[in-house]
Amino acid sequence: MVLGLVVVTIAEGRIKLVALPERAATVIRLDNPRATLIEEERVLTLQTGLNKVDFSWKAVSIDADSIRLRVLEHPDNVTLLNVSYPPNEAALVWEISSDGDYAETVRISYLLSNIDRLITYKAIADKAETFVDLKSYLILRNFSGEDFAKARVLLDYGESFEQGIDHEETKQMLFLKAAKVPITKIWTFDAARLPWDPEQLENQNVGIPVSYRIVNDTDSKLGEFALWGGKARLFQDDGHDSTIFLGEDVTALVPVGEKMELYIGDSRDIVVTQRKMRDTQINKKYNNDRSPKLVLYDTDEIITAKIENFKDSPAVLTMIQHIPGQWDMEKCNLKYEKKDANTLEFEIKLPARTPDGPATTELTIHYHQRNLRPGVNIRPMPTGPQPIIRR
Amino acid sequence: MKNIIFTLLIIVVMAGASQAKVDLVTLPSRDTVQLTIYNSADMTLVRESRALTLKDGKNKLQFSWANTLIDPTSLEMLPKADADKIDIAELTYPPRVRNLGLWNIESGVSGKVPVEITYLTSGLSWRAFYMGTLTENEETMRLQGYVRVTNNSGEDYENAQTRLIVGKVHILDQIAELARRQYPYGRPGQIEPEMESLREELDVAKKVMTRTSLRVINLALTPKPKEIRKEGLSEYFLYTIEGKETIPTGWSKRLLSFDVDEVPVVNLYKYEEERYGTSVVRFLSFKNDKEHELGETPIPGGMLKVYRNAGGEGHLSYTGQSSFKYIPVDEDVELNLGAVANVVVEPKLMDFKTENYKFDRRGNVSGWDEIRTFKVEVKNTRDIDVKVEIKRNFNTTYWKLTRSGDFGEFEEVDKDTVKFTLTLKPRSKRTFEYVLRTYHGTREEDWR
Repeated sequence: MVLGLVVVTIAEGRIKLVALPERAATVIRLDNPRATLIEEERVLTLQTGLNKVDFSWKAVSIDADSIRLRVLEHPDNVTLLNVSYPPNEAALVWEISSDGDYAETVRISYLLSNIDRLITYKAIADKAETFVDLKSYLILRNFSGEDFAKARVLLDYGESFEQGIDHEETKQMLFLKAAKVPITKIWTFDAARLPWDPEQLENQNVGIPVSYRIVNDTDSKLGEFALWGGKARLFQDDGHDSTIFLGEDVTALVPVGEKMELYIGDSRDIVVTQRKMRDTQINKKYNNDRSPKLVLYDTDEIITAKIENFKDSPAVLTMIQHIPGQWDMEKCNLKYEKKDANTLEFEIKLPARTPDGPATTELTIHYHQRNLRPGVNIRPMPTGPQPIIRR
Repeated sequence: MKNIIFTLLIIVVMAGASQAKVDLVTLPSRDTVQLTIYNSADMTLVRESRALTLKDGKNKLQFSWANTLIDPTSLEMLPKADADKIDIAELTYPPRVRNLGLWNIESGVSGKVPVEITYLTSGLSWRAFYMGTLTENEETMRLQGYVRVTNNSGEDYENAQTRLIVGKVHILDQIAELARRQYPYGRPGQIEPEMESLREELDVAKKVMTRTSLRVINLALTPKPKEIRKEGLSEYFLYTIEGKETIPTGWSKRLLSFDVDEVPVVNLYKYEEERYGTSVVRFLSFKNDKEHELGETPIPGGMLKVYRNAGGEGHLSYTGQSSFKYIPVDEDVELNLGAVANVVVEPKLMDFKTENYKFDRRGNVSGWDEIRTFKVEVKNTRDIDVKVEIKRNFNTTYWKLTRSGDFGEFEEVDKDTVKFTLTLKPRSKRTFEYVLRTYHGTREEDWR
């Protein structure tokens, strides 16, 4: 770069160069993930009258409209009159009126591209998967074109800190450490996303997605601030003074009080076999044509799901079922929560496998879709992806 | 080949001066190394212990990973002693230098400190495969499970404790791609990696590996096969190979995972026109449980080659091969060995009629029933007992079925599928019939 700061005083003619002002206190403000704000203080030698200050930059990308100038010492005596942009230059010219000769400290702020921060998480679960030791790292990446020998780095929370970072440099710093953060392990079967009948698949397992849930609150030894989004890697203590890698996921920003859900991998020890056992039309109404046409009908549908737990530990499966349109439940053998008009959520407690074999739980849903009109409603069939098409 | 190089720069800040004295020390080699290799993704967790000699004050540890496949963002170092006195403050990836990182360590102690360094690398892999040997009467099978570990990482791992993970982990980025990034975390506003140049580099790396691997000629021989310890962790299974392994880059190693002499098997034959056409498909069926001499742990998916003992002198005949999926404990295994001609299923339409016509007001047909009578002949031409599963699919959910004869077990699978299961003695035949009534048009309303 980089920043050329040239003070030109009008009274003295066309050009008067003043020694390039040194950069004083610099702040890198990373509280907005979309843009990084740089604030730097410089001393301008101003003379009485109109001063033109040239601010130009090279090999860096600055949003010219974001540049602001703030007079720190004599705000009542020094006035910024206007800003102009010279043609075909990465520069701007401030016209500053001063009522005296001052060595004035000003703060210049601007949005600088290609300098940002990332957040990553590393969590180690205990063997029983009841808590994690959570660490979060801040990664500063500077590809702006500018070297910052020393700057005060500000995030949206926590203490600011001194850090120098050169162009093309990346720095990784530990900035959050929380031991024994409680977790909940969740298995989820969504009938709209997973195949229904594993027997229809040739030599493929259907993995049930497994996630860890962490609540960002004080009970979890967190809850002081929102947890930024980033990549999380999860490990588990293996009981032999070592760990295994469980999986990784990306979390979005988690505000205080909200939950972070990290998908780690798939369980193949819980097997769901879902089948449609009945799907017929009932309560059919015809019009009065001489060849009567079907105009309105209901359906009579039965879905069964066999859930087998091959694990030697119990588990709670969240099962999500979808029924489109208008519907009534005729009979359902397990309790569910209606999450919205068309989504049913079951929390199914699965006992552990016994010496006799897997623990099997059966779900039967018998329902009616109501007031379907041929050709008017295209009835979306609540079936999962069917890898084998049968004619 | 040793490509991961750690160098200790001991920087002692002189009192009152801004200059620092820099000592350069190359780290001693690994004391121990442990590899945890995944097979659902190209990924290995490496854990090594080394002894660092630290000085009181600021220390810098430099490491480089040129020509390796490690993910630099996964690097972590933890002191195993004096943990409260040693602060591993930050990790810097300096500008304009590739494949290099610097740890800044603040130490309150002086002397040797054991540290543990962990990272993820790509290039090591393992897979499971199986050999089955049927007895002549095909009642039992000797099942041998193997794992084959391959090292293409570019790094020789000597005397490593080797562990294998069975399970499907969720990963976002390929480790190999992370390893080849110009900047470990990429750069703002840029999508890493640049695939083309990457591929070239990978090819180069592969060539280098091939060349260097020729150096190694001998493999350590052990007097008896090593045991593999198996245990469950989270949704995964961890296989730990007894003792230590040395797998130079470019090499692979086959290890016996289990060997069970007499697994009782069922010779299962399936017939389903919509899935297999008009052929009967042979399956070998058993269960991953105690009754079948298995059931200790799940069986990882892999290819099984099946042989049959032929004659008394240990000769073999090759029966076929089948890949199978991961089998949890207590689950049934069905291995597809392909179409056969020695078990025959022949469904024949013996009679067809329609009835129960309904008419609308214009006198047109609005509803009717179709009645089909099928005769199914099942023949076992083999010298052994067989089990046969016959699935029949109907195109409608409005149907009724009556059956007669020797139909075995009957099951309604779903709204339009039924299944007949029969067991046949050697060289025998069974015949059964079923009558299928399907309801059409307005007759659907009279169903049930």
